Amino acid sequence: MSIVLEIRGLRLVRGAREILCGVDFEVKRGEMAALMGLSGSGKTTVLRVVAGLEDSFEGAVTAEKVGMVFQFHYLFEHLSALANVMLAPIHVLGIGSAQAQARAQGLLDQLGVGHRAQALPRELSGGEAQRVAIARALAVDPPLLLLDEPTASLDPARQKELGKTLRGLAAQGRTLLFTSHDDDFVGDYATRVLVLAEGRVVEEGEPRKVLSKPQHEATRKLLQVEPSRRRAKS
Amino acid sequence: MEADPSDPSKLVGFDVEIAELIASELGRTPRFVQVAFASLDQSAIRGDFDIGLCGIEDTPQRRAAVAASVPYYEFREVLTVRSADRERFQSLADLHGRRVATLGGTIAYEILVKAGQEHEITAVSYDDDVHPYTDLLLGRVDAVLLDNVLADRSMRRNPGLYAHAEGLAHGHYVVITAPENTELRDQVDEILRRAMQDGRLESILRKWDIWTEDQTSHHARVLAAAGDPLAAGTAPAPTSVWKTTVTYFPSLLQAAVVTLLLSCLAMALAVLLGVVIATGRVYGGPLTRAFLTAYVELVRGTPVLLQLFVVYYGLAAVVRLPAFVAALLGLGLNYAAYESEIYRSALEAVSKGQLEASRILGFREWQVLRLIRGPQAFRLALAPMTNDFVALLKDSSLVSVLTVVELTKRTQIFAANIGSWVIPGALCAALYLLMSLPLGHLARRLEARWKAPTTS
Repeated sequence: MSIVLEIRGLRLVRGAREILCGVDFEVKRGEMAALMGLSGSGKTTVLRVVAGLEDSFEGAVTAEKVGMVFQFHYLFEHLSALANVMLAPIHVLGIGSAQAQARAQGLLDQLGVGHRAQALPRELSGGEAQRVAIARALAVDPPLLLLDEPTASLDPARQKELGKTLRGLAAQGRTLLFTSHDDDFVGDYATRVLVLAEGRVVEEGEPRKVLSKPQHEATRKLLQVEPSRRRAKS
Repeated sequence: MEADPSDPSKLVGFDVEIAELIASELGRTPRFVQVAFASLDQSAIRGDFDIGLCGIEDTPQRRAAVAASVPYYEFREVLTVRSADRERFQSLADLHGRRVATLGGTIAYEILVKAGQEHEITAVSYDDDVHPYTDLLLGRVDAVLLDNVLADRSMRRNPGLYAHAEGLAHGHYVVITAPENTELRDQVDEILRRAMQDGRLESILRKWDIWTEDQTSHHARVLAAAGDPLAAGTAPAPTSVWKTTVTYFPSLLQAAVVTLLLSCLAMALAVLLGVVIATGRVYGGPLTRAFLTAYVELVRGTPVLLQLFVVYYGLAAVVRLPAFVAALLGLGLNYAAYESEIYRSALEAVSKGQLEASRILGFREWQVLRLIRGPQAFRLALAPMTNDFVALLKDSSLVSVLTVVELTKRTQIFAANIGSWVIPGALCAALYLLMSLPLGHLARRLEARWKAPTTS
């Protein structure tokens, strides 16, 4: 399978702190890769580097065109949900506004928020805003979709819906890379997990295997952080 | 009177000497206070000074408002023109369709307003007696109508001017006191008459080179009419306040239109320039930023009045801007600095997340500004902008110093004419409110509309 994202020797220093010190991994087409790690381990920074939002890093990052869904969505506050999705196709891709609107509406429908097309971002619930943000990212048709903590603000039912949605996107040939704290979600939906600690990938593999038999100290620590949620589900 | 060239803190002039004469006769030491020429009567009524004299004209309105002395000087209203126009412009009729300057609130101004209808002359009103003549030299006006004393002084200052000797009208200078202080006025009358009799007044007038043959007969008339000061001066003809109000109201409305037009155009300029400056300060290189910051600080750190003078008079050597254009530029350039600060902080208030989300979607920097950052910043800037527009509407009254007759200036003329600020002040305030209140309303409606979804 073809490689959509390849990261080699990624180092990033912010001030006196070395946030990433030699990250290596790759993501293949159709994968749903999960980046796990404790807070501050640099998960979000990796996504930002891939998205082109960080200027000063060392190493090689080769990625196809990416779309990104931020943890706090960052929908354009002054535009309706529909206009948020239409804006880039019209002004970046040069698609006619009628066609862009039809496609935007189609994406919103597909993500289950078609009925909220005319709402402003501040009128949307967290889950709705996330779906609009996914639609906005997909509107420019990126082969690689990055999602930062997509499960953070969702209740278990919504998480399940999101998991299905993401799986559907992967089935369409899209590649996904997301960060998460939630080992249940990762175990259920990711095709591969990468554990980030001390600025590098310390463990990776098939999610259920890694999460049930962690090999690295950092992975074990990570799984101890949220035992209550695991118990609640099992 | 004017400042003493050898000691600018000292006032000199024939008025000063007459004041000193009166003071010494009264056994007092003169202390000079400066008040606005256009509101002399109001200052007298308020009690800002005991005795007012400084080329104060004898008019019926003035005699109705304050206590006025016997006239101590008879002047002629004369036309001053550029030396080259000496033959061409000899009378008001010769000045058909042209601009003629004078001091606001004077007999000369009234003459010009009347002549304006007859000869299509535009009367240009100034607040001081120096700039009418400098603007005459610059070609902003084609003649100045003021009394012979001021005209002679201007000829001494500006060699290129010529004052016609023939007077268009006669008038008199008087000393004024508060209306209830007729006792002091009577004392002043007595002192002035004595000074006329014993030649002390004549020697002062001769010293300052303003003695004319008219004075001989004038003094004789004043002395003959002893006990009846009015007989020697202009007879008062009381006019009804309401009648004056009705006469003035259309001109107040007209002036309000000037205020509104000027404010709207100046604001448009300020917004346009403000956007450019703010964009430059947010996106520009270090040199651009330094230059724009310097501009903003310079403009915000100096009085708008000074800036207006610089644009109108200071730049006159390079470019002679018409008064309205200078006012528009002065206000617009000034407010641009304030607007730019509003836009800059609004641009910076748009969250980083919005910008990053735009960049990942592939928008170019200018598209981010035009489609996302700009519109969001504009919504943030709307309230302070509305505020500024209302402030500008009121600050536009400052342009009267550039001879633009807007609402406040017109009100001042009106008030000077009827000798009261009550009705003019109320009308003026009502007109300003009529202009500013709808603005606030409009801004609130826009804000409300932006709360509703759009699909642009």
